[in-house]
Amino acid sequence: MKYQIVIAGIGGQGAVFLVKVLSIASALANQKCLGTENHGMSQRGGSVSCYVKIGDFYAPAIDEGQADLLIALEGNEALRNIQYLSKDRGVIVMNAPKNFPKVDFETHSIDAFKKAKAKEFPIDALNVYMLGVTLALDTHFPFTCKEIEEAITAMNAKVAEKNIAVLHQGMNDAKAVK
Amino acid sequence: MKQILMGNEAIALGLIHSGVDMLSGYPGTPSSEILGNFQKFRDKFKLEAYAQWATNEKVGFEVAYAGAISGKRTCATMKQVGLNVASDPLMSASYIGLKGAMLLISCDDPGFYSSQTEQDSRSFAKFARIPVLDPSTPQEAYDMVKLGIEFSHQFESIVMLRPVMRVSHAREICEVDDSLYVKANQGNFERNIPRWGAVPPAGRFRQGLEQIDRLEAIKLWNWEHLIEPKTHLLKGSRVLCLTSGTGDGYVKEAVSELGIDADILKLDMPYPLPKENLEALFVKYDKVIVFEESFPCIEEQLSSPKLYGKLTKHVHLIDEFSKDKVLSAFAKAGVIEPNHAYQSEKYNKELPKRPPNMCPGCPHRDVHYAITKTFKKKKSIYTSDIGCYTLGLNQAAIDTILCMGASISMASGFSISDPDKTVVATIGDSTFMHSGVAPLINAVYQNHKFVLIILDNSTTAMTGRQTTPERTNPNQIDIKRIIEGCGVACHEYVYEQDLNKTVDFMKSLQEAYKTATAPVVAVVREFCVLDKENAVGRLGNVVVEVDEDKCVACDSCITNYKCPPMHYNDAGKMEIDPFLCAGCGSCLDVICPTDAFVKK
Ligand code: SF4
Ligand code: SF4
Repeated sequence: MKYQIVIAGIGGQGAVFLVKVLSIASALANQKCLGTENHGMSQRGGSVSCYVKIGDFYAPAIDEGQADLLIALEGNEALRNIQYLSKDRGVIVMNAPKNFPKVDFETHSIDAFKKAKAKEFPIDALNVYMLGVTLALDTHFPFTCKEIEEAITAMNAKVAEKNIAVLHQGMNDAKAVK
Repeated sequence: MKQILMGNEAIALGLIHSGVDMLSGYPGTPSSEILGNFQKFRDKFKLEAYAQWATNEKVGFEVAYAGAISGKRTCATMKQVGLNVASDPLMSASYIGLKGAMLLISCDDPGFYSSQTEQDSRSFAKFARIPVLDPSTPQEAYDMVKLGIEFSHQFESIVMLRPVMRVSHAREICEVDDSLYVKANQGNFERNIPRWGAVPPAGRFRQGLEQIDRLEAIKLWNWEHLIEPKTHLLKGSRVLCLTSGTGDGYVKEAVSELGIDADILKLDMPYPLPKENLEALFVKYDKVIVFEESFPCIEEQLSSPKLYGKLTKHVHLIDEFSKDKVLSAFAKAGVIEPNHAYQSEKYNKELPKRPPNMCPGCPHRDVHYAITKTFKKKKSIYTSDIGCYTLGLNQAAIDTILCMGASISMASGFSISDPDKTVVATIGDSTFMHSGVAPLINAVYQNHKFVLIILDNSTTAMTGRQTTPERTNPNQIDIKRIIEGCGVACHEYVYEQDLNKTVDFMKSLQEAYKTATAPVVAVVREFCVLDKENAVGRLGNVVVEVDEDKCVACDSCITNYKCPPMHYNDAGKMEIDPFLCAGCGSCLDVICPTDAFVKK
């Protein structure tokens, strides 16, 4: 299998957490995985982008026109990274309001900020929530819900229960929107 | 045993599995997590090992080197720019060699993600004449740490490991040893004055000759153990790619994905190279292209009319590698037709800019704001330094940034060259300890008149909040007493979130400056909002809103204060993003001319 994911967001939203979860999920699924994170100058509020390459890869970065999936924790960050998506396979899952500009890719969007504002889930679990949305809507996503749950538990068993609940909430909300 | 590791974790584990029990370094992205992870593993498995942050890279190097010449297995960690600071001892240590083993880890940052310069530590290894290993993945980094330590021991030479950001911060499933077997090994310094204390030229001259012999032996080893076995796997294409580090991954993927007919030979130790043996391979090829990040380290050691690379302008000269750059090099060298398989259209409408910015609620922002409010731009020069506060650039509160410690020495220089302006220097506590003390002594000694503000949040915040000297030993090392020890008064301010108070403090410094004959030095006692221990209870819980009727969209808050939650809404009025706001309440006063910021 070969599957490449770009995770985009802003500093403080926990994009790096998703890289960890996905690399653990890969290990559980017996797949090779290479991920990289952007650390450093971007403090809270700066653009952050991470790459996860699952399968037989050697180069750490994802190249333009290559990604299968773009998970954007913030809408504008999806647009900023759009060039990484593959023209024929690329899928976007993003947190964006209803009136967001349309782009030329299969796009699944949900207004997660609105739901968080209404206290439907805690804002610091936005990353896991969006992962749930991805699980529900990206038909090519290479992991099952069970694998992701296991990965979340392996990351930090103490908060796993809470996170898994948010994961399912994301899945359910996504299905409802669809 | 398989484990999912980030490159820097893999390196830390490799050090443990190589029996390294003495580690010293200074944080710097992307190297910072090596020492921190080593400490974590050490504590988790209750191993006996020294692993501490040094005040700067030169000190870190020298501590580790002393360990190595006493026969221990040691390591110094830093980033490429830090190696500049440590280059002084490195140059001599390379002549002298060592007894135990020492790995010098210098992490590079192609593409300047978080550095002032790109640089290539491999070129530094070449300059210093020490062997260097260039890993391309976390797994290789782990393996090369072990190789490097063994090698260092065998050849009595410092060995450099040069991971780049995409190795240090990559995550991979790695195969690592099962057991953990660091045990404190006893150092035993054996007096040998002609070796360890040699005075030029006699002693060093002999060591210089030995160094040359050693390099010849290492070249041969490099050929026999690392390169020659791989040459049997070459398929016999017309084109040979010589790669190093991450360059290898990009070439491998591009060549296999596009079916380009080319052989790839990865050089794990890009310096010193067995020139003759390598060039003998070229006979079978029409073209040899060198793919390496960042400088032409390999290319400079070889010569052949068949050679294509950075020196011949076929490969890009600056910035990180990508497969698109690989294809463009192939095309320029006439191997393939121009190909844009790895280019795609960007979104071409305007997006919100998100330049690096200080965290919401960060006290540094208030200090910078107060400086520009008090010391007017036209009549001042703001020198600053390396750390989170460098991001005060966004507030136009910084005019110069050079290297660690230079804010103070440059303030001296400006006070002489442009005496009509008030120079205001800002520097963090960690940077002050790293290289700020010597320039302060210089300024006091020569009575240079400027304002120096030390922003003391008691942590090395930018690289991930490593401990600083005063944090660990607050009763002994104290910035205030260091300043007083230099014979000048220390103005102290304990930061409060009421911005008016910070501005008032700045005005008091301005008063002091009027009659001063030496530097006016202040320390602001702050905290980093991400520092759980220190920020607790000091970060307010105020909910701030902007009164749309009062906001006249004058830009004043965004330009001068620039807190990330501030943005314009659809109505063209200022709005605070509740998800980013830290609730510090600093913006309530001072910054808005129409008082539009209100408590909810
Ligand atoms: S990491 Fe700490 S010091 Fe740096 S900008 Fe954020 S709050 Fe300020
Ligand atoms: S209260 Fe104001 S200054 Fe503090 S974080 Fe929020 S927007 Fe920034």
